[in-house]
Parts: sequence; structure tokens; C-alpha cells
Amino acid sequence: MSKAVVRKTLISLAVASAAAVAQADVVIGVAGPHTGAYAAFGEQLWRGAEKAAMDINAKGGINGEMIKLVKADDACEPKQAVSIANRLVDSDEAVAVVGHFCSSSSIPASSIYEEAGVLMVTPASTNPTLTDRGLPNVFRVCGRDDQQGDVAASYIVGDLGAKKVAIIHDKDTYGKGLADAMKATMNAYGLEEVLYEGLTRGEKDFNALVTKIRSVDADVVYFGGLHSEAGPLVRQMREQGLTAKFISGDGIVSDEFVSVAGSPEYVDGVLMTFGADPTSYPAGKEVVEQFRSEGIEPEGYVMYSYTAMQVVASALGANDLDPVAASEWLHSNKVDTVMGTKQFDDKGDLLVSDYVMYEWDANGKYSMMDN
Amino acid sequence: MDIVLQQLVNGLTLGSVYGLIAIGYTMVYGIIGMINFAHGDVYMVSSYLTAIAIALLTFFGMESFPIIIFGTLIFTIVVTGAYGWVIERVAYRPLRNSSRLSVLISAIGMSLILQNYVQISQGARQQGVPTLLTGAIRFDVGDGFVQITYMKLFILFAAFLGMGVLTYIIQKTKLGRMCRATQQDRKMASILGINTDRIISSVFVIGAAMAALAGVLITLDYGAFDFYVGFIIGIKAFTAAVLGGIGSLPGAMLGGVILGLSEALFAGLISSDYKDVFSFSLLVIILIFRPSGLLGKPEVEKV
Amino acid sequence: MSQQTNGISIAAAVKDTIIAGLLALIVFGPVVGVLLDGYEFNLRAGDVASIVAVVMAGRFALSVFSQTEFGKAFLYRQSTKDDGVVVTAPDYKSKMRFIIPLVIVIGLIAPFIASKYVLTIVILGLIYVLLGLGLNIVVGLAGLLDLGFVGFYAIGAYGLALGYENLGLGFWSMLPLAAIMAAISGAILGFPVLRMHGDYLAIVTLGFGEIIRLVLTNWTEFTHGPNGVSAPLPTLFGLEFKRRSKEGTPFHEFFGLPYDSAYKYIFIYLILFLVVLAVLYVKHRLTRMPIGRAWEALREDEIACRSLGLNHVLVKLSAFMLGASTGGLAGVFFATYQGFVNPSSFTFFESALILAIVVLGGMGSTVGVVIAAFVLTVLPEMLREFADYRVLMFGILMVVMMIWKPRGLVRVTRTGFATRKGTVK
Repeated sequence: MSKAVVRKTLISLAVASAAAVAQADVVIGVAGPHTGAYAAFGEQLWRGAEKAAMDINAKGGINGEMIKLVKADDACEPKQAVSIANRLVDSDEAVAVVGHFCSSSSIPASSIYEEAGVLMVTPASTNPTLTDRGLPNVFRVCGRDDQQGDVAASYIVGDLGAKKVAIIHDKDTYGKGLADAMKATMNAYGLEEVLYEGLTRGEKDFNALVTKIRSVDADVVYFGGLHSEAGPLVRQMREQGLTAKFISGDGIVSDEFVSVAGSPEYVDGVLMTFGADPTSYPAGKEVVEQFRSEGIEPEGYVMYSYTAMQVVASALGANDLDPVAASEWLHSNKVDTVMGTKQFDDKGDLLVSDYVMYEWDANGKYSMMDN
Repeated sequence: MDIVLQQLVNGLTLGSVYGLIAIGYTMVYGIIGMINFAHGDVYMVSSYLTAIAIALLTFFGMESFPIIIFGTLIFTIVVTGAYGWVIERVAYRPLRNSSRLSVLISAIGMSLILQNYVQISQGARQQGVPTLLTGAIRFDVGDGFVQITYMKLFILFAAFLGMGVLTYIIQKTKLGRMCRATQQDRKMASILGINTDRIISSVFVIGAAMAALAGVLITLDYGAFDFYVGFIIGIKAFTAAVLGGIGSLPGAMLGGVILGLSEALFAGLISSDYKDVFSFSLLVIILIFRPSGLLGKPEVEKV
Repeated sequence: MSQQTNGISIAAAVKDTIIAGLLALIVFGPVVGVLLDGYEFNLRAGDVASIVAVVMAGRFALSVFSQTEFGKAFLYRQSTKDDGVVVTAPDYKSKMRFIIPLVIVIGLIAPFIASKYVLTIVILGLIYVLLGLGLNIVVGLAGLLDLGFVGFYAIGAYGLALGYENLGLGFWSMLPLAAIMAAISGAILGFPVLRMHGDYLAIVTLGFGEIIRLVLTNWTEFTHGPNGVSAPLPTLFGLEFKRRSKEGTPFHEFFGLPYDSAYKYIFIYLILFLVVLAVLYVKHRLTRMPIGRAWEALREDEIACRSLGLNHVLVKLSAFMLGASTGGLAGVFFATYQGFVNPSSFTFFESALILAIVVLGGMGSTVGVVIAAFVLTVLPEMLREFADYRVLMFGILMVVMMIWKPRGLVRVTRTGFATRKGTVK
């Protein structure tokens, strides 16, 4: 028997025994809209979480236990979120959940996780209500809409010195929450909006609304919503000869924003608030490169999802896989992630919000504004 | 003043597109009395086909606007027409002699199938097409202005041309006569030697082709679509068809234009939050006073 | 050539297969084969080839099958399904009298054995049973096509949530109140639309359903818009099912049990189960009462009914109101089960799903509605194994079930009548 064969046999034995140990897996749910109108974001969540789990497993898992992911589809419907949360808790015996995406799903689901003592870290739900209810097990690695609104409002009032601001939202939990937060801060600065209107998600014709914005002569349009509506909106504004500054939140952070708007020329000069570029952290450089080498652009919530998985893994690892203890631990300990060191406050929000202004250029790329 | 004029332009273009899609509903309803809920999704498929056609044509180096637009139109209309035929053959024809509600449920199932089939094969991402036609005409009105893009003018032109061609087919050709005969009395038509199954199939193909025309126009204008766009526009177009009197071709176009105008004017002058509430209320009110829609023939019930 | 009539013509089958293959190529080719990537594309010829191959193989098998004796007989049976109801013999005793007590016993024991996940699915199933029963009165019995049924469901759900928030009314006071509220709105909706027929009625009700949802979304001061409202849990004689209660002792402390969130689902389940039984009983009786007969008579022939002196307005209105109030009840349970309501639960798709329950169950059949409600709620959960293909499978099954059983799963039967033996002539 040659040495190579012996070595191969040994390796395969080692792998087999590792697999045997891995029988007692740590089950973690990845909950989000994997089908339905928002499936694009579910895909981002899944990519980030899957990669993180693979990386952690490759390094020996959490205290030697392998992570087993369960894909949980809520289609961004509260009804399905409740049923899938019960399924994760009950049938899959998940100890932690990365998700959900839509705030309207995260809120009802979080109560179920709380009752079952399951740790929940959402990479994307920014609605303040989620953590304001004071559940001990709920954390988020993204910011809150009110923090984001603050940054946008102070930029609009301070740096831009705008006088006539039109606020548009998409009548959804995220978009309206963002628009309201920005409106509140702006009003506190003493500036009243000239227009406050909602549009319907899923529609693509906003010409009537654009004409209305034109009639109030706005010089800044603030939009709370996602890129699927922001793209046609900004395009139709430009087509009708409206040159007002277009500002939005992290809902438009996606390369698709450009293709949806029809051409990079339309997004030129669009501003948005977003957490300091998730791919720009030195700690995450390696992961970002790995993503890109696999042909995946770590855009939008991919890195957030990766981070959420790391937070879950570290918290569980430090507390013998006990999710309740892990929740308590997270309130007072720091976690190193691919997006820098994260620390949570009593409510489960990030201690430091890192929202900054970004600007889109004529090539359809966005970059941090230097200020 | 300029604002109202601009809103009228907005409403008219939106309405003409609603009208094109409404034709599919109204023709199918007129001939077999079913609400084809999958029709909105047929329109959605045609949006994808538009983008695919443009991508293919530009890949082969055809860049000029007329070539792209004609290539895209022909490709999209042919393939979407095939969709219309296949859907009717697979999901509706086996139910020809069942209650109308069974076909309705089958149509809802078909709508789910189309949405998810496209999502699975093309991904859930938002899609876009490049802007082909840029530029606009600008009229000065008072101290304001009205701006109409060339694309919008093209939409109005193409939509009314499409309507004209369809009216010609229905009124003057042999196929049109057979369609009208089948619509009036299916049994009698088949006794007189008309292959009614084939006529019903061709109505589905015509409806899908009109949806494809709308799909190409809207996709080029808005530039953005996803696998979910068929739903809202489908409901709107169906509303337009009922508003104008379901079963009536001019009614579909009229209903579309009225719906588009009322949406634009209400959103522009009062509130865009409640614009859909307004259009549905308008529908309810019109139907209360004219239970068969604006141009529909009242149902006469005989004992 | 004379042999051709009985034999299997391979040539015809091949011709069908080629046509099907070409169509599959046209239909699937572009959408599956050309994957859009921004403004560019990637080709995926392999996927198209396999889809076309599957379609051709399927068409060939179907073509050959339909030429066999068995296939011909099968197709004949499919194409000549007889319509109408089955009339049972006058002295026929339904097997249901054994099944019903059995189902009740199983239903009462089930929650204590089932896992929490299964329990939540069953609760959802029962909520849809209620919805299906409500719509069945309107569509199945009275023959009024209602595409906006979800509006009443929303009224019930928001009634509980907002009644609790603004007036402090709990589950038990809102349960009857929501039913009454929904019935009143049913009357308001019903009144103007009674003149309309068939599909005009359908679109008007669709409009009403959408209006209710849009108002819930836009009237933020009252309904909190898309953020939704939280809804209270039911209480057992004032005992709450929470881990910690603000006022009084929670259920588990009162009985000295360890806390388990399953208690609350068991409790909701039991109330819901009893309510469903009650509604089933009421509906069963109604269909045998003059009003139920009047609904069905009106569905069959309105003119004849009016000639016979039936007040068609009252009959239609009563169907609308009864249906709506059942929908309202379902809404209350939905809100309390979910603990949270927002407008996204009340879209048109939900109306379509409820309608599918009624049609699939067999129009007018009570047992059918119960079965179909469970099929359509449990099916998507079972299909979770298919992950991304879940909703696609659901759609395919909907079409296939309709083609397979266009009259619904359960045929409506009617008790036959005969003069009683031994009567004096």
C-alpha cells in the first residue's frame, strides 16, 4: 500500500469522524422573502448567511458544532412569518434566526422567538418599533430608520440649505418609517415640507406625482422606499424636466437601481444615506474578495447578513450554545465582524450608527461623499 | 394651467396602455365569458421578452432605433401570442364545458405559475432596459411648460395604431367575422361550420398580442419591470374593461383612457395616496348607474 | 387503413410531439434560455433543451395514452362529466353520522398531542374553513360572485386590534361585535350592488375589497397604516396567556404550571374549533330552512323567484350579511392568532384563495369547503420542501385540480323526499 493511499484513507477517516461529530448540528434559520415580490433581498440574505456559515464551519464550527442553515420563506407576509417562525422554533429546533427582512414580518415573528427563547439578529429590518418593544432576544446589525432620517435631514437643511422639500414614501413599513423620521427631524430644524405623499408599491407610472412635485416647485425630493420604485420615479422626474435633487435611504442600495432607472445618466447626482460601505471595512476585505471571485457582488444586505451570522455564532459560542444566555451576553459584549466591531445597547440596536451620505455618479456607481 | 395640461398628457398615455391590456380581458370575456386572471401576467412575460429581444439585437450589432423597435415588436408579439395559445390550450380548454368559476380558479393558478416560472428562470431581481429614445418636446404655457418625451408620443401613436389594426381585423376580415359570430352564439356558429375552438384560441392569441404591444411600449418607457408588474396593471386594465362595458372593444379603450385620466388628475390635483380609492369608487358609481358599463350592451334576461 | 381506428398511430403521436416540442421551444426558449444580466445576457441552452425534452416526452406519452382503449374511455369519462346534484334515496342514512362525532373527538384531543407548528397550521386551516363557509353562502348558495370577501375579514381583524387599542375591548366582546360590524358593512356593500349581475358584481366587490385595504393603508392616524396594530390574546375568565401579565395572574401561574407558549395556541384552537362547529351547524340548518332554499332558488333562476313573490333584495342581502359576519369572525381569530395585523394580509390574492376554497370544495358543499380549506392551507406548508418551487407547485396543483375535478372535490347531495309509509290516503 503506497503512502498516498494511506494518507487518503486517513484523511477520509478524519473527514468521516468530523461528519459524525457534526451530527449534533446547531440549527440556525435564515428567514426572509425567498419568494414573492421581494425575493431579490431574500437572495442577498441567504448568500451572506450561507457564506458566513460555510466559513465558520470550515474553521470548526461553533465550539466544534457545525452550523446547519434552514431557509425559511416568509414572502414578506406577516401571516407566513408567524407560521414559519413557529416552524423554525418547533420543528427545526433552531436556536437562532438571521432575519427577517421586512419589518412587518420581523415584528410579529420576534414575539414568537422571544417566547421560545430564540436569538434573533436581523440584518435589514430598520423600523424602530422592532427594538423599541424591549424584547431581550432581538438585535439588529443595521441602523434604525430614525437615525437614517436624522442624517438625511441635517444634510438637506444644513449642507444643501434646501427651502422646498417634497417627501414621498411608498406606504410601506420601511419607506414610510424612513420618510416620517426624516420629516420629524426636518420639522425640528424649522423647515416644513411642501409636499408629503405616498405612492403605490409595484406601480411604475409616477408621472402624475412627478407633475405634482413640479407644481410645488420643490428643490429637493426625499424618497422613503426601495429602488424598484425609486428608479422609475427619478427617471420620470428627469424626463419631465424636473431637476430637483433626489435623496433616498438605504432601500436603493443596489446596482439594479441603475438598470431600473434606465440609464446611468438618470441616477447621476442622486444622494442616499447608507451605513458606511459594508465592503469597505478592513476586516471584511478577504470575504469581499472571496465573494467577488465567486462572481457574486456583495451588494446591499449580503455583508449585513454575513455579519448577523457572525454575531449569532460568537454569542452562541461564548455561551455554550444557550440562546437565552447569548442574548444577555450580547447586550454587554462586543463582537468582531467583517463590518468592524459591533456593540449593542439595551434595546438591541447598534451603539454606533454609521450612516453617511453617498452619491451616485454618471457611471452608475455610488461612493461616499467626503464631508 | 401647465400642470393640468401635463397631467392630461400623463393620463392619456397611461390610459391608452391600460386600454391595450383591457382588450385582452374584454375579448376573452366576450367570447367565453371568463375573466382571464392570467392576462396581467402575460403582459409581464412580454416585458421580459422585450428586454431579451433588445439584449439579443444589440448583441448582434443592431443599434438603430427603428430596427430595434420593429425587431422587438415582432419577436415579442409572436412569442407572447404563443404564450396566449399555450395557456388557453393547457389550462382553459379542458374546462370548456365546466362552470365559469372553475375556469376562473384555473386562471388564478395560471397566474401564480407564470409569476413563479419567470421568477425562477430569470431571478427575482429588478430588471431594466436601456433607454433607446431620448429627448422631449417642450411647450411653454404661460409661465410654466409642458414636456412630452418622444417615447410618450410614440406610445400614443403605436397604441392607437394597434387599436386601428385590431378594429380593422374584427370588422373587415373573415377571421373577425368568425370571431363576432362565435361571440354572439357559439353553438350556432359551430353549426354553421366555424371551428369555434380555433376561434377561441385565436382570440387568446390576439389578446396576448395586444398585451405584448403594451408590454413593449411600457417597458421601453418606464425602463423597469419585475415578475410582479402584471398584477397591479392587470387589475387596473380589468377595471378599465368593466368600466367601458366588458365585451366591447371601443369600451375597453374608452375605459382605459378614463381610468388613466382620472388617476392622473386625482393624484395630481388632490392626493396620490387615495388615487386608487378614487378610481375604484368611480367604477362602483358608474356601475350603479350604468350596470353594464359605459358602452356595454345591457343584459336582457329572457324567461 | 381500417385497422387504424383501433390501433395506435405512432405517426400521429410523433406529429403531436414535434408540434409540442416546437411550441415549447418558442415559449420557454427566450425566457429560460436567455438569462438577463443588466442590459446583457447569458445563454442557458441546456435548461431549454431539457425542458423541451420533458415536454416532448410528456406529449408523446399523452398522445399514445389517449389512443389506447383505456385512455379513450378515460377521456370520454372526463369530457362527459354529468352535472347537477345527486339526490339520495329518501331513507338514506348518511355515513356522516359516524364520521362527525369521530372528527369532533379527534379535534378535541389533537391540540394536546400535536406540536406547536402543526397546531398553528391547523388554526390557520380552521380560519380558512370559516372564511370558506362565509363565502360559500354568498357564492355557493346565493350565486353572487364576490371577489372582495377579504374586506370583511379585514374588518373583523382590525375590529379586534383597534377596538382593543381605542376602547379597551377584549377578544370576547369583540368576537360578537366584529361579526355584527362585518354584517353591517356587508349590508352597506350589498345594497347598491344588488342590481348587478354576475361579473359586474364581481368587479364591484373587488373594488370594495381594495378600497377597504387602501383605506387601512392610508388612514395612518387611525389604523397606523402599514405599521399595523397589535391585537390582544383571548383570556380565560380574565386569566391571560402571557409569560408576565400586567394585571392579575397569568394562566400558567394560576394553575401552577410552567410557562409554555403552546397554551395560548391550544386555547385559541379550542375556541376556534367550537366556533367552527357552531357555524357548521347553523349553516347546515340554514340550508334546510326557507331562507336557504330561497338562496339556492335565486341562484338558479332569479326571474322565476321574483314571479313567485320572493323578495330578492332581502334574500340577497341576508346572504351577503351572513357571509360577511362569518368573515368577520374569521378576522378576529386571525388577528388574535397572529397578535398583529397590517394591511398586507388582506390583498386581493387572499380573496382569490378563499374563492378557490369554495370552488375547489364544490360549490355549496359544506364538507367540500372544510376539506378544500385544509388542502389549500396545508399544501403550501407541505410544499416548503420544494423551497423556491413552492408557489409554482401550488399554482400547478390548482390548475390540475380544477381540470381533474371541475365540479369540486365533493358533490352536493340532496336528501330525497317521499310520502311517508302508512299515511292515510
